[in-house]
Amino acid sequence: MNITKDLKKLVSKEEDINLKNKKTDILDSLDLTYSLQKEEYKYTPLLKNVEKKFDLLKENKDQISQKSYEEVAKFVNSKFYLISVDGYFKSELSNIPPKVKIKKYSELEREEKDTFENMYQKHDDSKSDFFSSLNSIIHEDCLTISVDSNTVLKEHITIININENYDVNNYRKMIFCDKGSEISIFERFINLKSDENFSSSVTEIYQAENSKLNYYSTQDFKENYHYNSINVFQKRDSVSNFFTVSFSGSIVRNNLNICLHDKSCYTNMYGFYAMSDKSLIDNHTSVDHVDENSLSNEHYKGIMGGRSNGVFNGKIFVRKKAQKTNAFQSNNNIILSDKSKVNTKPQLEIWADDVKCSHGCTVGQMDDDAIFYLMSRGISRKDSISLLLSAFSSEIIEKITDEKMKSLFTELIKKQLEKFNDE
Amino acid sequence: MLKIKNLHASVEDTKILKGLNLEVKSGEVHAIMGPNGSGKSTLASVIAGREDYDVTDGEINFQGTDLGELGPEERAREGIFLAFQYPVEIPGVSTTNFMKTAVNQIRESKGEKPLDAVAFLKLMKEKMKLVNIRQDLLSRSINDGFSGGEKKRNEIFQMAMLNPKLSILDETDSGLDIDALKIVSNGVNALKSKENATVVVTHYQRLLDYIVPDFVHVLMDGKIVKSGDKNLALELEEKGYDWIKPGN
Repeated sequence: MNITKDLKKLVSKEEDINLKNKKTDILDSLDLTYSLQKEEYKYTPLLKNVEKKFDLLKENKDQISQKSYEEVAKFVNSKFYLISVDGYFKSELSNIPPKVKIKKYSELEREEKDTFENMYQKHDDSKSDFFSSLNSIIHEDCLTISVDSNTVLKEHITIININENYDVNNYRKMIFCDKGSEISIFERFINLKSDENFSSSVTEIYQAENSKLNYYSTQDFKENYHYNSINVFQKRDSVSNFFTVSFSGSIVRNNLNICLHDKSCYTNMYGFYAMSDKSLIDNHTSVDHVDENSLSNEHYKGIMGGRSNGVFNGKIFVRKKAQKTNAFQSNNNIILSDKSKVNTKPQLEIWADDVKCSHGCTVGQMDDDAIFYLMSRGISRKDSISLLLSAFSSEIIEKITDEKMKSLFTELIKKQLEKFNDE
Repeated sequence: MLKIKNLHASVEDTKILKGLNLEVKSGEVHAIMGPNGSGKSTLASVIAGREDYDVTDGEINFQGTDLGELGPEERAREGIFLAFQYPVEIPGVSTTNFMKTAVNQIRESKGEKPLDAVAFLKLMKEKMKLVNIRQDLLSRSINDGFSGGEKKRNEIFQMAMLNPKLSILDETDSGLDIDALKIVSNGVNALKSKENATVVVTHYQRLLDYIVPDFVHVLMDGKIVKSGDKNLALELEEKGYDWIKPGN
């Protein structure tokens, strides 16, 4: 790997001793991480593409954004929003909620630092996914979000990550949810740069006892490459709900890794993707049930049109101690064109003996009987198909309890499904 | 109203209808009976425009229009309705939403304005009574988890909503208990008028006690081999189909 030498140089320049140690660790296992690529990216040639097209190690500068808030306002649907440009958090463009502490890692006071110093690169996948290793070593600064114990934020916070000046952007953040806190986040990646680019994002989330988190994420990309890794570490009685929605992008890879580290943790992982043209969407998820009585419920659905490709890989681990685990997983796909493809794979490893686990994948076509039924009542073919497709997506959308987010996603999906009308 | 001449239809090279003739006039009720596999359901599907069937010869004329080139939705807009033998379950789409889309697309095809929410609700309430169907059933996904009787009632409800000129009931009675059968038949009878016509495809004479036909036809081996009045149905019930040989 040519890249290793340059990465070593970068690490040697790191001034923060704690970070330097962690980055050195990542460097040391880089060969092994790299070798895992072959299996973990079997159908997703992300590395091949981005290595060829971009200089992955080029440094970005923290520039004053030329974009005004007005330009990104249409992507914000909440009172509070956090804006990052080219990987740098911009507090001057953001509207920070009063009850939550939001800072760059480099600007944290000594007493604030302990929590995040401990968290930093602890539970992420930088030793199992090469892109996370790269992000860990290269990213410039890290956004930190800290929610104090028992703080409840009713309205969600929108996080907007904008690719503006560079063709490679690395985003990094940590979210600390203290005991009994409740918070919702809607993260969007947008592009204000017209050239092809690559963005990578790694998020580490720590959920203390009894905390609750809703996390919605989507990208508004066309012909871009995107890597997103979200890593969650949950303590006792905590609940997390994830909604990962993807519509376009040359290659989009979403990693969602959840560690249910304690007793009675809950997580719901929902995903929806509707792809057209030549785009590729890859959702890789993993849930690690470490202790008793926890529940994970995963449902991803996708509609593939044009010459698009879909990949789903869902890992479930149930450790020996994790008796009475409930773990459910399913992935359903509709293929609209004979040029599109889906590779889907459930992967369960269960060491406990008193558990309830299920998994299932389906890849199918539109149901001709249903189309005929609707048409026989006077509904055009086009509208029959879009009724059925939106019904297919509604199973995921119905799970969103926040009305604002539900209507936003309903609207986005409707717009995307209209693209399939000509197929 | 409906004139079928020398209709030949096949599915995947298997010939099912082999020269079928049938004429239905306004105000009439026709029953089509016949043994399993004689082509009854195929006939119903072919009239409704199901694309799985190839019409290889003959024609179906509906009120002066050759249906040959029309898709199922265009036939529905012309006034043809098929009550399905096996109504399809469609999770995620409510019957209410489904009917609203259907009613308004049919209106639009005639150059009429779509019904607003109030007018639609009023129409729905009125038609719900006909088949004794509850509102909450209609708010649920189409036929999803419905009992056999609920599904058939939903078919007749849809028929009432769309007010077709020609209704084809494909084995609407099969699997219904006597109470459900009465409700369904009452609904069909209430919708009957001098301007519309009904074709009842059935296996059993029992239904014809409730929906009384003007004509009974026996379909065997892809052709209508015998026609008569309602007494023919009674005779079939008693003797079975063996005494009628195709070609007689």
